[in-house]
Amino acid sequence: MGFIELTVLNNAARQLAIGIDLGTTNSLGALWKDGHPIVLHPEGENGYVPSALHFTEDGRVIVGREARDRALLDPEHTLFSIKRFMGRGLADVAQDAANVPCPITETANGVIEFEMRGRKYTPQELSALILMKVHDMACRALGGLETSRVVITVPAYFDDAQRQATRDAARLAGLEVLRIVNEPTAASLAYGLDQKKQGTVAVFDLGGGTFDVSLLSIDEGVFRVLATHGDTHLGGDDIDRLIVQRAMEDLTQTLSAASLREPGFQQLLRLAAEKCKIELSTNPEAELHVSLPDTALPWRRRFTREEFDLLAGPLVERTIDACRKALADAKLTPASIDEVVLVGGATRIPLVRRRVEEFFGRKPHTELNPDEVVALGAAVQAHVLTGGTRDILLMDVTPLSLGIETLGGAVAKLILRNSTIPCSANEGFTTYADNQTAIDFHVVQGERELARDCRTLGRFKLRGIPPMPAGMARVAVKFHIDANGMLTVSAKEESTGATARIEVTPMNGLTDAEVEGMLKASYDNARADFDASRLTNLRVEIGSMLRGAERGLREHGTALDKETVLDLEDSMNAVRKAMDQDDVHALQKARDVFERAAMPLAAAMMDSVAKTALTGKRLDEV
Amino acid sequence: MEIAYAVDRATLEKRLLRFTRLVHPDFFATADKDERAKAEAASAALNAAHEILAHDWSRADWIVRHQGGPDEQSERAMPQAFLMEVLDWNETLESARAAPPGSIERAAVEQLAGELDRRRAGLLQSIAKKLASLPPAKSPLLAEIRKELNAARYVDKTLDEIALLRVTQSLSR
Repeated sequence: MGFIELTVLNNAARQLAIGIDLGTTNSLGALWKDGHPIVLHPEGENGYVPSALHFTEDGRVIVGREARDRALLDPEHTLFSIKRFMGRGLADVAQDAANVPCPITETANGVIEFEMRGRKYTPQELSALILMKVHDMACRALGGLETSRVVITVPAYFDDAQRQATRDAARLAGLEVLRIVNEPTAASLAYGLDQKKQGTVAVFDLGGGTFDVSLLSIDEGVFRVLATHGDTHLGGDDIDRLIVQRAMEDLTQTLSAASLREPGFQQLLRLAAEKCKIELSTNPEAELHVSLPDTALPWRRRFTREEFDLLAGPLVERTIDACRKALADAKLTPASIDEVVLVGGATRIPLVRRRVEEFFGRKPHTELNPDEVVALGAAVQAHVLTGGTRDILLMDVTPLSLGIETLGGAVAKLILRNSTIPCSANEGFTTYADNQTAIDFHVVQGERELARDCRTLGRFKLRGIPPMPAGMARVAVKFHIDANGMLTVSAKEESTGATARIEVTPMNGLTDAEVEGMLKASYDNARADFDASRLTNLRVEIGSMLRGAERGLREHGTALDKETVLDLEDSMNAVRKAMDQDDVHALQKARDVFERAAMPLAAAMMDSVAKTALTGKRLDEV
Repeated sequence: MEIAYAVDRATLEKRLLRFTRLVHPDFFATADKDERAKAEAASAALNAAHEILAHDWSRADWIVRHQGGPDEQSERAMPQAFLMEVLDWNETLESARAAPPGSIERAAVEQLAGELDRRRAGLLQSIAKKLASLPPAKSPLLAEIRKELNAARYVDKTLDEIALLRVTQSLSR
């Protein structure tokens, strides 16, 4: 019998693919089997892999449950919630970085690194370790069946950088990613199939570190996302942190500030707070207990659900606000939602359930385990992607608008948020100098008006433009957001047909070490390119500032006192000197000093302009 | 293919799904790189077409351009009568922005929203009439339609601002 089954498997035209929920707190694998998705767990174990890593003295990294257990004994060498650092820079994660028990730095290219036992690890590498553990567990559950194909879920509100980081983690883990799927969409797949749902559905997904709300229409196997909103920095972790803060306020009398801030103790407090929060979901009150540093004396603090609700209230309201925004984008009202589905462990919190129910005016569905539903949905999608069925069709959207920076730092939007993916947009560029062979452009993601308020996806350089007079080159750049919600950019010079393709090149068939090395190299180059283009832009800007000031001094210098003029001239000399160097920071500094010194001159010029403009006008015409 | 302004929404959605089932990248996930790229491109083109066909404004805009009529850049005018009203609308919107909840200014915005909906319907009806049979290439009618489209776009932008105002006011922070 075993032999026959094996034959069938070998003859099967399609290879299986595992669905993986790579979560902030827990990760989980699932597979489509005999007509429905199942969670994969080896005999006698549950399939959850806590997203925790422990670093042993001899340089090994332990992943999952064992790492989590060791956190209690050795909190200083254990990391949690790595997902919050994926695709982010240090400036984005200041609050989370404070909770990390080890030195945390940023590479020149803006990738975070955790230093543990004398080695540095990027979030991608650590997530890769978690993925390997989940994959390993899934394969053991399948009796050693090998498949490297996976579908990985990410929060719907993840931007391009966070998606890329996730895909890089999978590549480092040696997995072939068939698709990156949005978590709430995956959840709707699991629910829609089980419950035979039809109509408009809101998926409210509050996980350990991220929050999403997605609105979908479900009809005869077609899952179509209408709008999505969220916050990639809002989840159960944040509620734990509030409990920790409250406990710390109480402890200021008992403990020195140094003991209180000690990373190991912080980690213990965090674990105790999480336990307390979970208890409060079923009990009207719970106790937080930890042993204090130095003395190891036990310390207890009682929390009532009322106190907890007051603490968590503002965070919960932020999730409701996101629901309002998603509804507005979809041009829907709470009343037009037929079903509400709760996903993510933090939706077990009674306050969350109550507020969601109040807002949508209906009882949310909780039939499926909120910790498993995303992985189950990923398995459904994996089944579709490996050719298992054509009855299910998933049409997702891009969560954030995509644009390029225009003159003056504004954003020209090319693809609007909530556009169905895959989608493309074309934009024309031209040269501004004779024989210019390269064009730079800055691609951003976000809803704000100014490029500096949006997230930089990259600064792209179009190379290989044939030399011709300024303005003659016509470069068509195509922006494509694929079914993973990830961007590729390609370009073509239209008058000559020369193609220049610019994208994050897929690196198939390389070893982990090579991928790692290449990833780092590409990031380092990106930072160098960035500095170079900033230097160029600064020089252009300063050049025109200098010309303006020179003219201003000639025409209006007499309106200024001698000291102001001397100050200005000094700063102009300094900035001219800095222009000859290649130091971006020094040049920026000199520019800022120059700008400040030029303010009185600018004021004098404005004054004079205003006088000229008003001359000969009656007061009532002004 | 026949070019027509009138589109049956249900048929459009049915066709979108039928074609999407043929080309969506999900059904080519294990195919080679070329096939996957083709599926991505075809799917994006399909979504772009749907985006145009699903909205009355963009449908009319497409037909005007296709028939050689002026685009938004080359004909920026709006119908004369419309211009006067625009100033009033802006004023209503501006005073509502600063006004406290439940004030008269807020109520005025809701009234304005109703009026704008009616104006928009009127404009699109007039456009639909002009497009009932396809105007010949370069027909002067196309410029007339463009002006009405400009007005409709203005109404849409104002309605968007009102929607944004509603959301911002409903937020808890």
